Amino acid sequence: MSSRGEPVKLRLLAGVSVLVMTAGLSACSDSSDSSGDGSSGGRTTIDVWLMRDSVSAEFQKEFVAGFEADHPDIDVKVQVQEWDGIGQKVTAALASNDAPDVIETGNTQVAQYAQSGGLLDFSDKVADLGGKDWLKGLAEPGAYQGKQYGIPYYAANRVVIYRTDLFDKAGVDPAAIKTRDQWIDATKKLNKGGTQGIYLPGQMWYALAGFVWDEGGELATESGGTWKGALDSPEALRGMEFYQRLQALGKGPRDSDEAEPPQAEVMAKGQVAQVISTPGGAQVVVENNPELKGKLGFFPIPGKTADTPGAVFTGGSDLVVPMVSTKQDAAYTFIKELTGDAWQKKLAVAMSYVPNKTTLADAVAADPGAAAMAVGAAVGRATPNTPGWAAVEAKNPIKDYMTAVLTGGDAADQAATASEAITTAMKSGS
Amino acid sequence: MPATHERTANRPLTTRPKRRSTGPAAREPHRPRHTRRADGRGPWPYLLIAPAVLGMLYLLVYPLARTVLISFQDFGLRELILGDPKFVGFDNYRTLLSDPRFWEVVGRTFFFMAVNVVLIMTLSTLVALMIERLGRFGRTAVLSALVLTWAMPVIAATTVFQWLFHSEFGIVNWALKELGFSSFDRYPWFAHGPAAFTILVVLVVWQSVPFAAITLYSALTTVPTELYESARLDGASGPRIFRSITFPVVRPIFMLVLSLEVIWTFKAFVQIWVTTNGGPGDATTILPVYAVQMALSSQRYDLGSAASLVTVLLMSGVLVLYFRQMFRQEDEAS
Repeated sequence: MSSRGEPVKLRLLAGVSVLVMTAGLSACSDSSDSSGDGSSGGRTTIDVWLMRDSVSAEFQKEFVAGFEADHPDIDVKVQVQEWDGIGQKVTAALASNDAPDVIETGNTQVAQYAQSGGLLDFSDKVADLGGKDWLKGLAEPGAYQGKQYGIPYYAANRVVIYRTDLFDKAGVDPAAIKTRDQWIDATKKLNKGGTQGIYLPGQMWYALAGFVWDEGGELATESGGTWKGALDSPEALRGMEFYQRLQALGKGPRDSDEAEPPQAEVMAKGQVAQVISTPGGAQVVVENNPELKGKLGFFPIPGKTADTPGAVFTGGSDLVVPMVSTKQDAAYTFIKELTGDAWQKKLAVAMSYVPNKTTLADAVAADPGAAAMAVGAAVGRATPNTPGWAAVEAKNPIKDYMTAVLTGGDAADQAATASEAITTAMKSGS
Repeated sequence: MPATHERTANRPLTTRPKRRSTGPAAREPHRPRHTRRADGRGPWPYLLIAPAVLGMLYLLVYPLARTVLISFQDFGLRELILGDPKFVGFDNYRTLLSDPRFWEVVGRTFFFMAVNVVLIMTLSTLVALMIERLGRFGRTAVLSALVLTWAMPVIAATTVFQWLFHSEFGIVNWALKELGFSSFDRYPWFAHGPAAFTILVVLVVWQSVPFAAITLYSALTTVPTELYESARLDGASGPRIFRSITFPVVRPIFMLVLSLEVIWTFKAFVQIWVTTNGGPGDATTILPVYAVQMALSSQRYDLGSAASLVTVLLMSGVLVLYFRQMFRQEDEAS
C-alpha cells in the first residue's frame, strides 16, 4: 500500500457515502408491485387492495366465492394492505404502470388522489350504482370538483364501548348517560381502585374533532379558497378542555394514539371500563380475551345536551379504480357487486358497519353496536374535503398539540402553533 | 476485524519512515502496473467489473441524476402519476432557500451533528484508551460488549429505546420514580422537544461509539511501546504523552473515523423517523427528515429533491474542510 493510498481512498469513500445517502433520499418515487396480470383461459384477473380488518377473512372468502360464481369470467385476487404507510403505497401504485384494479381508500384520502388525476371518473355511473341514497359522509369526500371518483363502500363512526360488569359493580346505568356532564360523573365513579374509568390515549384526534364540532368549532376553515387551521378558536379550545377532563379519568398514555398500543388489547387485558372506538373494536377485544364475551355494551358518544348526541367523525372507505388499470370494466363489475344492496347488508351485519346507503340502515337495526353508531351517524361529520387535508394527516400537528396540552402546555399558545402548522400543511399539500 | 487490525498495525511503522526519506520513490510501485495495463489484456478486466459498475450506475447514479432532474422541475403528486413535469429552473431552490424553516432545519442539523460527533469522538477515544490498559479478561469483555452493540440492527435498537422511554410503560420513568423523582411519573419524553432531541443524541452516540472505539483501539495498538517508555523516562505526564505521542500517531485513523461519523450523523434518518417523525413540532427535524417530509407528507417531490441535494452539498462542504486540513497537516508532518 502506498502512502498516498489513504487520502485517495478516503475521498472515494466519502464520495461513495454521499452517493449512497442521496440514493436513500431519492429512492422514494419508484415502485414495482408485481401482480398477476392479464387473462388466463379467457378469464380476467383483477387485483383488489382491501385494508386490514376492513372485512373479516370469512366475509372476504364468502364474497369472493359468491362473486366468482356469478361472474365466471372474472378472477378476483384480494391483497390485504396495512393502514400504516398506506398513502405512500397507493401513491406509488397510482404512479406505476402496474397498479391494482380496485383500491379501498380512506374517505379522507380520495380528494388528493382525485386531484392528481390518477383515478377513474365514475360520474356517469352514479345513477347505475344507486348514488342518490349514498351516505353523505362517504359520497362527498369521494367527489372532487363535481366529479365522483370514490364509490362509497362502508362507514363506521365511533361509539363508547363499555364493560357491563364494571358498570354494574360501580352502580352506573349506561342508559342514563345522555349528556357530557353525566358522562364525566359516571366515568369518575368508575375510575376507582384498579379500574380505569376510560382508556383514552392522548392523541385520539378523531375524538377531539367530535368534541370541537360539538362546541361549534372547526379543525380548519376556508375563506376565498384558502384553508386555515382553526384549533385556536374559543370553541375549539373548549373542545380540547373537555378532552383533557375526560382523558384524566384513566391511564391512557398522553403521548400516543389508539394504535400504539392497540387500545382493544389494552381493554382486553386490563380493568378498563370504557373506550371510544368503532363497534368493530368490540370483536377484537373479545378475540384477545374471550372471557369478556357478552360483557361489552355500546352507547353513542354523549353530546352537550340530552337531545343532541355528540358529533362524530364519519370514518369509512371508498373504492377507487386507478386510471392505469387495464381492466376497468371488470373492476366496475366488482365495485357494483360489493357496493350493491345484497352484499352491503351482509357486510354491515358481519362487520357492524353502517351500510353505504341510508336506505339499508335497517339491516343492522338488531345489532346493539350498530344501533349506537346510527345515533351518532345522524350528526356525522367529515374532515375538510380538500386535497391539502391529507398532508395534515400525514404530519399530524393535531397530535402534537394534544400531547402538549395534556402534559401541561398552555392550550391557547399550543393551539395557535398547531393551527399555523395545519395552515402550512394544507397549503403545501394542495 | 483481524484484517483491519493487521493493516493498521503495519502501516504507520512501515510507511512512515519511507515517506519521510524518499518522496518520489513512493510513486514508483505504480509504474509497472501502468505499463501492464497499457499492454492490454483484452476486454476481460472490464467485462468482469461490468456487473458491479452497471449495478452501481443503476442503483446510485440513476437515482442521483433523477434527483437532480426533479429538483429543477415542478414535480408534485400530479406529475408523479401523470408524468410530463415542467422545468422551472431554480424555482425550487429559491423557494427552499427563502424559507426560514429550512434554515432552522439546517442550523439544527449542524448542531445535531456537532453534538453527536464531539460526544462520539470523546467517548470512543476514552473507551479505546481504557481497553488498551485493561487486562485480557476485561479487554475481551469490553470488546464483546462493543461488538454486540454494533451488531444490533438500527431499527431494533431504536425500538428498544422507544420502549425504555415510553411515558406509561417505560423502565426509565419507572426507575426515576422509584428513585424518588416523582416529577417523572408518566413523563412523556418524546413530547418535549429538548428531551426528544437528547434521547436521539444518546441513541445515535450509543450506536456509533463501538465502531469508533474499536477502530481507534486498533490504531492505538500500533503505537510503539518504546516511545512510551522513553517518554516516561523523560518524566512526561499522562496527558502530555497522549498529546505528543499517542495522538500524532493515530491521527490519520482518528480523522478517518471523524469523517465517517460526520457522514453518519448527518444522515441519521432512520432513528429519527422511527421515534419522532421529526417532531414534536420541528424539534428533531434534521435535513434528511425534512427532505422526506417534503416529498412524502407534502407530496412536493421537487422540494424534497432540492433539499436532499442541498444536504449533499453541505455535507461535502464539511468534509472538504476536514480533508483540506488533514492534508495540510500531513504535508506539514512530512
